[in-house]
Amino acid sequence: MPFIQLIKANTRMEFIEMKRYLPNTLSMIATVYIIFLGMLLGINVIGDPAQAEANIQHLIVNYIFWYLTLMTLSNIGFTITMEATRGTLEQLYMSPLGMWKILLSRLIGYIALHGVIVIGLLYLSMATANQWLYLKPDITLTILLITLVGIVGVGFMIAGASVIFKQIQAFMQILQFILAALAFVPLSVAPILILAPFVKGVDMIRHVMIQGYSWTDFTAMDYTALIANSLLYLLIGIFFYLKCEKIAMSRGLLGNY
Amino acid sequence: MKEEILIEVKGLKKGYKKRKTKEWVQAVNNVSFTVKRGEILGLLGPNGAGKTTTIKMICGLIVPDEGEVVINGITMQKNRLKGLEHISAVLEGNRNLYWRLTARENLEYFAGNRGKSRKEKMGEIEKLLSEFKLKQKENELVSNLSRGMQQKLALAVALLADSDVILLDEPTLGLDIETGYEVRQLLKKISEAGKTIIISTHDMPVVQDLCERTVIINNGKVIADEKVEELMNLFETSAYVLTLGNELTEQQQKELDAKFPINELLDGGKLTITLEQDNDIYDLMDLLKKENTIIEKIDRTTIDFEEVFMNLIQEEKNHAIHSIN
Ligand SMILES: Nc1ncnc2c1ncn2[C@@H]1O[C@H](COP(=O)(O)OP(=O)(O)O)[C@@H](O)[C@H]1O
Ligand SMILES: [Mg+2]
Repeated sequence: MPFIQLIKANTRMEFIEMKRYLPNTLSMIATVYIIFLGMLLGINVIGDPAQAEANIQHLIVNYIFWYLTLMTLSNIGFTITMEATRGTLEQLYMSPLGMWKILLSRLIGYIALHGVIVIGLLYLSMATANQWLYLKPDITLTILLITLVGIVGVGFMIAGASVIFKQIQAFMQILQFILAALAFVPLSVAPILILAPFVKGVDMIRHVMIQGYSWTDFTAMDYTALIANSLLYLLIGIFFYLKCEKIAMSRGLLGNY
Repeated sequence: MKEEILIEVKGLKKGYKKRKTKEWVQAVNNVSFTVKRGEILGLLGPNGAGKTTTIKMICGLIVPDEGEVVINGITMQKNRLKGLEHISAVLEGNRNLYWRLTARENLEYFAGNRGKSRKEKMGEIEKLLSEFKLKQKENELVSNLSRGMQQKLALAVALLADSDVILLDEPTLGLDIETGYEVRQLLKKISEAGKTIIISTHDMPVVQDLCERTVIINNGKVIADEKVEELMNLFETSAYVLTLGNELTEQQQKELDAKFPINELLDGGKLTITLEQDNDIYDLMDLLKKENTIIEKIDRTTIDFEEVFMNLIQEEKNHAIHSIN
């Protein structure tokens, strides 16, 4: 299966980079952990003490999601911009398997590797806050995987935009705030956000991890909304990406002219 | 076997709007040529002639405004991915590699991107590494390799794709004489392995050493499509060195420049001159005779390909000027 080889090669590449630049990887994880400590301190100092426990539990889930989403999305935009200026982007486009499949493999590889880090961070933050959430791997992982499909879709949109506008660093910073907001806003506060990417997924995971929901506590509507949201973002993402690719090829934007 | 046409480039046109000035540039203007299986074609032209744009349209990285490219019966503009199974390319030399990966990791990664497993390609990778004398450096980061090594690795990556066609955009650009030579030798070896190769370049030794045929483009148009040998012969017979006994008058020099723009007066009264038509020699005689210039000697010159190229470009310019007037 060529696609399996593609995933293997791209995951391996991400792994080599992570390992070879271990100090970078470690300092990044440390930074993210310090941000968590900051937020934890914030809740303890200015938050309502009666609400502290619930707030901290929310913080842990939101923060973990924020990290995974942010890393995935900014990585894909950064990678494309960098590869275009370095000159490797065009080589990727020379693959007979198609660039969108390479991108998909990169995203899968990246998420898989950072998934491991995220689990580590999750335990670390639970231990730090001394708040132990429900883990329920079967349902949590299923919802997480479906949610990630939607995140991959958004990743494709960012990839498309990056192919055309090589300088989107400024845009990426704004995106970080929007994403942070998405991961932090509970769905009950703004139901319209069910249309936004991955908000429904995060919301369901919060129910599982904080309230201890199981498979039967969600309605068919919940599952439908979750799956529909993710699939829609994946399809729109790939479609948008392919459109951008076409524009880039007709304007000669893939090289670093 | 040699007569099978593998690549057909038909009426390619491409224009760009310049990002800064917003002016329109016709980078490629109706370029057509064919390449037979096993042939090595030199795509030659000065900077900005449209070589890179043409190469990138052949491999589908740039969509042409008009025209199409057919490779092995597959139209790139309709079925790009299928066509890419037959093509690999080195477009920006050493910049086509991952500098943060080792030589071997680059080979393995790019093989994976074409759907091939490391195991499957292990033998081939070993062979390429030793053939290209990269074996000792296989675990070095590409950023630590010399420019020449990087260039060779980029070629090895392209070869690993096992494609019928290899496109090379300026493969010796920025190399010193020694590495340039080494890369030329490698290219020669590759060509002997029966690959069909298009090399874009303005490095004449590359064309003279490697190419059987050359398509010369200037301002986006094909101005010559000939066997390299024939092109050389053609110009050899039209280039002369006249040894003059006395100096030309100013008037003569002016007329000479107007009529035979490709001329150069060297030390010792030697005048090298290229004539466009056989009859031009009489006009030249007339011009010299007018002031009773003494002609001591007339020789045919041996010219190298660089001069052939410069002459063609120069001729094209004059035609353009003539047609404006
Ligand atoms: N992506 C691009 N956008 C705008 N102009 C371009 C682009 N690529 C090439 N050009 C212009 O098109 C012309 C041909 O360029 P190119 O194909 O790179 O020529 P060569 O490779 O022969 O030097 C040049 O005038 C160049 O400035
Ligand atoms: Mg060029």
